[in-house]
Amino acid sequence: MGVPAWRLASAEVAGAWGRQGGRGQVAVCGPDEDCLTLAWTAADAAIAAAGLAPTDIGGLWWGTTRPPFAEGPSWSHLASTLRLDDDTVGAVTAGSPHAGIEALLSAWDAVAAGTVDVALVVNSDALVPGAGSGFEPACGAGAAAVVLTQGEGPALLTGRTSRWMAALDRYRGDGEAETRDHYDGRLVRDEVFLPLVRKSGRSTEFDQAATRWSLPDPDGRLGAAAGRALGVDTDRVASTKPRQALGETGAAAALLGSVVALDSPGPVVLVAFGGGRATAVTVDVDEAVPGSDVAREALAAPGTPASYSAVLRSRGQLVPAGDSVEMAVPPGSAMFVRGNAEILGLLGGRCVDCGTVAFPPSIHPACLSCGGDKFDEVALARTGTVQTFVVNHAMPAPFVAPLPLVCVDLDDGSRVMFQGAGTGADLEIGQPVELVLRRYAVERGVPIYGWKVRARGGSS
Amino acid sequence: MAAKGDGPWNRAAIVGAGLIKMGELFDQGYEQMAKNAFDAAVASVDNGFDPSLIDAAFVATQRGTLWGQEGIAGNTVPSALGLAGIACTRIENACPTGSDAFRIACMAVASGVHDVVLAIGVEKMRDKSAEEGLLARAASGHPILTRGESAPVLFAPFATRHMHEFGTTREQLAAVAVKNHHNGALDPYAHFQSEVTVEQVLASPPVCHPLHLLDCCPQTDGAAAVIVCSPERAADFTDKPVLAAGFGVATDHPYLHEKSSFVGLPATVLASQRAYAMAGVGPGDIDCAEVHDCFTITEILDIEDLGFCEKGEGGPFTVEGNTALDGSIPVNTSGGLLAKGHPIGATGLAQLTECWWQLREEAGERQVALRHGYALQHNVGGRGSGVSVVNILTRAA
Repeated sequence: MGVPAWRLASAEVAGAWGRQGGRGQVAVCGPDEDCLTLAWTAADAAIAAAGLAPTDIGGLWWGTTRPPFAEGPSWSHLASTLRLDDDTVGAVTAGSPHAGIEALLSAWDAVAAGTVDVALVVNSDALVPGAGSGFEPACGAGAAAVVLTQGEGPALLTGRTSRWMAALDRYRGDGEAETRDHYDGRLVRDEVFLPLVRKSGRSTEFDQAATRWSLPDPDGRLGAAAGRALGVDTDRVASTKPRQALGETGAAAALLGSVVALDSPGPVVLVAFGGGRATAVTVDVDEAVPGSDVAREALAAPGTPASYSAVLRSRGQLVPAGDSVEMAVPPGSAMFVRGNAEILGLLGGRCVDCGTVAFPPSIHPACLSCGGDKFDEVALARTGTVQTFVVNHAMPAPFVAPLPLVCVDLDDGSRVMFQGAGTGADLEIGQPVELVLRRYAVERGVPIYGWKVRARGGSS
Repeated sequence: MAAKGDGPWNRAAIVGAGLIKMGELFDQGYEQMAKNAFDAAVASVDNGFDPSLIDAAFVATQRGTLWGQEGIAGNTVPSALGLAGIACTRIENACPTGSDAFRIACMAVASGVHDVVLAIGVEKMRDKSAEEGLLARAASGHPILTRGESAPVLFAPFATRHMHEFGTTREQLAAVAVKNHHNGALDPYAHFQSEVTVEQVLASPPVCHPLHLLDCCPQTDGAAAVIVCSPERAADFTDKPVLAAGFGVATDHPYLHEKSSFVGLPATVLASQRAYAMAGVGPGDIDCAEVHDCFTITEILDIEDLGFCEKGEGGPFTVEGNTALDGSIPVNTSGGLLAKGHPIGATGLAQLTECWWQLREEAGERQVALRHGYALQHNVGGRGSGVSVVNILTRAA
């Protein structure tokens, strides 16, 4: 599971627009998070929970409403950060909140057909809602991932049903920055949402009394309506807790909503809705799915309260006036083509003669210690301790201050220096830390990813 | 290595040196600053000097287009000085750019290729906004490895680690700023000419933890020039030349994560060892030093790496007054980069000008006691603080 750092109180959004009320909270990406960093967090945890190595993964299916590149190498960036083999297959499904379940179905088909032995399914979303819209106080962010294999496992995918109708629900036009709310909430509920959910959900076969449900809840009320329409007791709705903790997570909602249920035996039904489609998938849980306990903990983490203005800045909706200084190297430059694999994959060059690790290898044709020029490519450790650090306070936009920079002695003996995630207020020399994927910048419209340092097991 | 007066390392003499008042010189462009510094150097020659005697120049300018100095090359400065036609090359070697231009000028004279050589440093840092200069630095270089690496990031990690290993305190760092601002208040060429207190340094806003505003040098426009020729030729111009006794340049890896430690700068150690060896002297023979104090921690590292005190002792050594004007080894009598300013290409040559004054006993209220007749000038900087130049000057025997 991938949960972003920030929490925004819905009441604060309502208050900013002169409205009363607003209950609960939503999870929101900080300035260095997006649907790809969340996807990486969930996928990396799922691979580890399955007891697999990245090279065991034959296919990656990623479902997200809005990929980080509107057109471009979204899938390959995620594959690179996960250190997957370069013959890995798969797809990005996108375009609506239904994209998450589409990724699951596609992976399922590929495994069933024998195209791949092991499939990784990632669902993530971090949408930008229209400022002041009804969607805004509900719009959360998050990610979930599962690993599918042929044959036996702790849980079995047993059935699926899909329905569709060509009707407009939540959408974003070409060239628009923000996702629009439903034009008419009750119209969508009565004529689109409930009919589709009812048809897909009711046609599944399962033991009704024992079943836990993950139900779509785009606005905070439709979930209850769906439960009533399907005759589900509220205490059988497993998605209530993730929904309350994170808000509406779009393409990730169905899988995220089921995570709490995957740690105990019995049937689970995931229902996804969006883009004029609804799909129900049934899962028979035989024993606790590895990683579901970790996911439950991640869900319980309180997160960092963020102000509405900080969220608007983070979502790119509140932009300082004036020119911004461009990065010296444009994202299309050969420097990125040469260097992306080693930066995104966190790969080093270990000197064959003396063992010293150079990072990144492409700028070190000679060993830092002995001058040797033969190296083995190695995947660097992602845990270590702080050698030294600074916290840069004097950084105008597009940088965000305070900006920590941390030199880390990794557990494999190599040394790296990266930005710190969070404010750096809790950094200390000798502290155990870990490297996590973060978005460093959006440069000429292109997201730039790299690794950041945070306290081990931290939430920033 | 051989002692003073004994070999080719001693075949260059300074016969004139000068600089302009440092600061945010909005009323002077790059060319005008160069001309004013050159005029000051020419005016300093005791017996008078005909500029047409200069047959080669080395121009020290560190930044090019980033700071609006578009297309500065070897030909810009001679034209501005009325010397179009002479041999001229632009030198760039990070923060030691100016000191390296001097080193190269000395080698040009010592080799016999050139007769009278000008080393001139000019840097226009405030034709663009202070903020844009800061951002340009932080956005330059490797898109991930150096992103956010504004200048203080190059030195603040050393402060964090020095404090951790040796118990160095912010108060000890502040003592560097207090001393150098005191000296700057006595230097009519300094950017800042007022004293600061330890309390003011501690209370100044954080810039890059653990460094605060008054731990940092300002962004400064400036220019400085030095005229070099052989010691024999120098007799035509002055009875009090200052000789280049030794120099050294050294490099280290360019990225911070490649440092072997964060309590010293190996480039400084190596450069100074080479300079001491060439001059045939040691740290105990130096009467005063102009060292690279872009940040307070840098001076602490410098005085340890140059051998003025033990590693880890820089803080207490400073607080005890050893580096003050009347101390055992006065450091940054001009006010240093912290008070005089750091117009990068000009910095080394401005430091050399201060050494020239000190060795000729023309430094007025800042004059130190000359016991051995040697002054040391030092810069360190660049990506990963990986380049250092040390020049050692001496009075003519």
